[in-house]
Amino acid sequence: MALARKLPLLSNRPLARAGLNSERVLMPNKGPGVFEEEIDGIEDALGITTVEKAVAWAQANSMWPDTFGLACCAIEMMSIVSSRYDISRFGMERFSSSPRQADLLIVSGRVTHKMAGPLRQVYDQMLEPKWVIAMGACASSGGMFNNYTVLQGVDKIVPVDVHVPGCPPRPEALMEGIVRLHEKIKAGVPPAYMIRGVAQ
Amino acid sequence: MSVIERTTKIYEGSRIPSPIPTILQVDPNEHALDDILTINFGPNHPSTHGVLRLVVDLDGEHVAGLAAVIGYLHTGFEKTMEQKTWWKCITYPERIDYVSFQVNELAFVLAIEKLLGIEVPQKATWMRMCLSEMTRIHSHLVWLGTSALELGAISMFWYTFDDRDMTLDLFEMVCGTRMHTRYFQAGGLAEDIPEGFYEQARAWCKKMPKAIDEYEGILDRNAIWLKRTKGIGLLSADDAIALGQSGPVLRASGVNWDLRKNMPYLAYDEVQFDVPVYSEGDVYARYKVHMDEMRESVRIVSQCLDRLEAMRGEPWIADDRKVVLPPREELHTSMESLIHHFKIVTEGYVVPEGEVYECVESPRGEFGVYVVSDGGPKPWRVKFRAPSFVALQATATCMTGAAIADMIAVVGSLDGVMGEVDR
Amino acid sequence: MTAVYEGVPGLVETTGGHGETTLVVDAARIVEACSHLRDEQGFNFLSDVTPTDYLGWGERGVSGYLGTTGGRDLHAPGTQGLPRTPDAKPARFAVNYHLLRLTDDPVRVRVQAWLDDGEEIDSVVPVWPTADWFEREAWDMFGIVFRGHPNLTRILMEDDWEGHPLRKDYPIGGEPVRFSGQE
Repeated sequence: MALARKLPLLSNRPLARAGLNSERVLMPNKGPGVFEEEIDGIEDALGITTVEKAVAWAQANSMWPDTFGLACCAIEMMSIVSSRYDISRFGMERFSSSPRQADLLIVSGRVTHKMAGPLRQVYDQMLEPKWVIAMGACASSGGMFNNYTVLQGVDKIVPVDVHVPGCPPRPEALMEGIVRLHEKIKAGVPPAYMIRGVAQ
Repeated sequence: MSVIERTTKIYEGSRIPSPIPTILQVDPNEHALDDILTINFGPNHPSTHGVLRLVVDLDGEHVAGLAAVIGYLHTGFEKTMEQKTWWKCITYPERIDYVSFQVNELAFVLAIEKLLGIEVPQKATWMRMCLSEMTRIHSHLVWLGTSALELGAISMFWYTFDDRDMTLDLFEMVCGTRMHTRYFQAGGLAEDIPEGFYEQARAWCKKMPKAIDEYEGILDRNAIWLKRTKGIGLLSADDAIALGQSGPVLRASGVNWDLRKNMPYLAYDEVQFDVPVYSEGDVYARYKVHMDEMRESVRIVSQCLDRLEAMRGEPWIADDRKVVLPPREELHTSMESLIHHFKIVTEGYVVPEGEVYECVESPRGEFGVYVVSDGGPKPWRVKFRAPSFVALQATATCMTGAAIADMIAVVGSLDGVMGEVDR
Repeated sequence: MTAVYEGVPGLVETTGGHGETTLVVDAARIVEACSHLRDEQGFNFLSDVTPTDYLGWGERGVSGYLGTTGGRDLHAPGTQGLPRTPDAKPARFAVNYHLLRLTDDPVRVRVQAWLDDGEEIDSVVPVWPTADWFEREAWDMFGIVFRGHPNLTRILMEDDWEGHPLRKDYPIGGEPVRFSGQE
């Protein structure tokens, strides 16, 4: 995605120099956001070489999502494949039903306790490196359902890289989440299972 | 019973597997049991129906046994709604059948209004009808795109989802968001209809029949589509009624039953439309019913637009201040309005004691809501009668004597949405 | 207007409201009543089988909002000015059968049978096969046993779940909401 104007570089930290752009794209005068603060601690530990940059570029540019559509968010996830919100421009139109061939698990929809087992099985079958996007309010935190059957956040069983809020998130919102994930990868941030485990 | 049009006999007698009507069991006499392979079509599988699990016993390519396991999306809607006030409850039904969301909302709101005894202005009734029909088209487009995708006609997905995006543009214009619009209130609509809506909706009404022609051009006489859908998944009229089917599945089996015509609600008795009925009872017939229904829905929408344009400036929500929020300008001048606003927002309105069963014709069939109120601010019991729940029960009957490749066609044609099935 | 049905076996009373008719039937004769309605009166379509739990009906004090320790008693006196609390119900559970006559002259009716906790009722699967999953769900959610049901197992909850979630004495569950920056 080539930007028409050069944005001011507000930080001299390695990730910003490597191209991490997310929040500055929208609000150039804003200070570091939650995202930047979160990765502040690990920035110093990362050493980004050219080979790693190339690998990260390749990983980000043809990530294959897994078909894990559960509920309403799945319909909006299907609509990013459609021609208006074309996800093919990111090389991601190839949704893989086999988790062995998938890189990205987009958990879209409410996860019940009954479904939590299969979800973890699918996640375990994916080969590393693998990323998880919790799409929607129900996957991020249980959403509007705080009861005996809905898992309050999928990060209780799988480590999540990006949470996308919304009920359901617009296709553009999901794209924003995917693009941020790409930026994270290109900047060298490791997948979530290497940084953190599951929430307690 | 003249609602059943008997032109061809599909199969003799009843094929409902007994003793358990919803499970197809391997006949122990016919097959040596080590020939049977049990396969699990797990909750995560590529056909995009959501989390349905089918345990299939295969004898070669032949399906000898079939059992559906559901409950992977059981969200506890009914129990959760017992904890929320009536106003907050209206957000929940939409997520049940997440593809035809406004129809679910409509059913629940109609039930509340029946208990309240509130009268809804004409404009709201006609707009509700207009949006319900647009939701029907939205649902059929999603159904068509995904079912065709599963049977291999992959390009249909992109065509239908593009038109679906146009439909969602209209929803966004009126209700503020694409899906889960929460536009219907107890008493009418949440807000007035914006001006640009009529023009865009008319352009949409002009485009949709051409789009439907395109879809039929791709699939109607396609040799592969015909081979995969004709004669597959047969369900006779008597079996369909015994199994409680409704909607397109029932109409494709030759039963002329549509709640909009036979037991009209909203203003369906004031619009002209036909109800497509086919009597072959197979997957192709259900496909044709869906396509024809889309055309009829466009007809209904244009008639609604005619009436709505004539009703510009009329109120869109009832006047009963005990249930409906007063307009914001009044809050500055009237003390009673302020008090009403405060009570409705904090405590919510109360619905008088009673029980009511309200059903509407959702794109999948008869979507019913059974509401019990104890006269308090929260529902006592809400039960949703989901047509997909009933349709999945018919899978075993439809799959009698079929091959494994037909299963995808049959499950797709029964148009099940798992959010509805599991609630 | 409440329609009148003659000769329904086990009919206790006919009530109605909001344009609907409810036939209250003795739970022990439910299969006879349903067969009569299907064969003599033409109700060939079963829409729905819905149990309702009336434990705590008419009392004040329902569970409060989630997330607060003391809860919020929305039934406290003076909140909505209702003149009375509702009449008591005959038993704890009501099993409602919503029937439809699928003809040119369509009619809906509700058949209601009252049960106490632990009582069983006969299954109507022989009358309408569609009742299969409805009754399984009723057992799963409420614990009402349907005698003669071919396959009374858990359908929505896991197979080894304990308890029946939609009963009024079963808690809503869930967890308190946590905010980032806590703990």
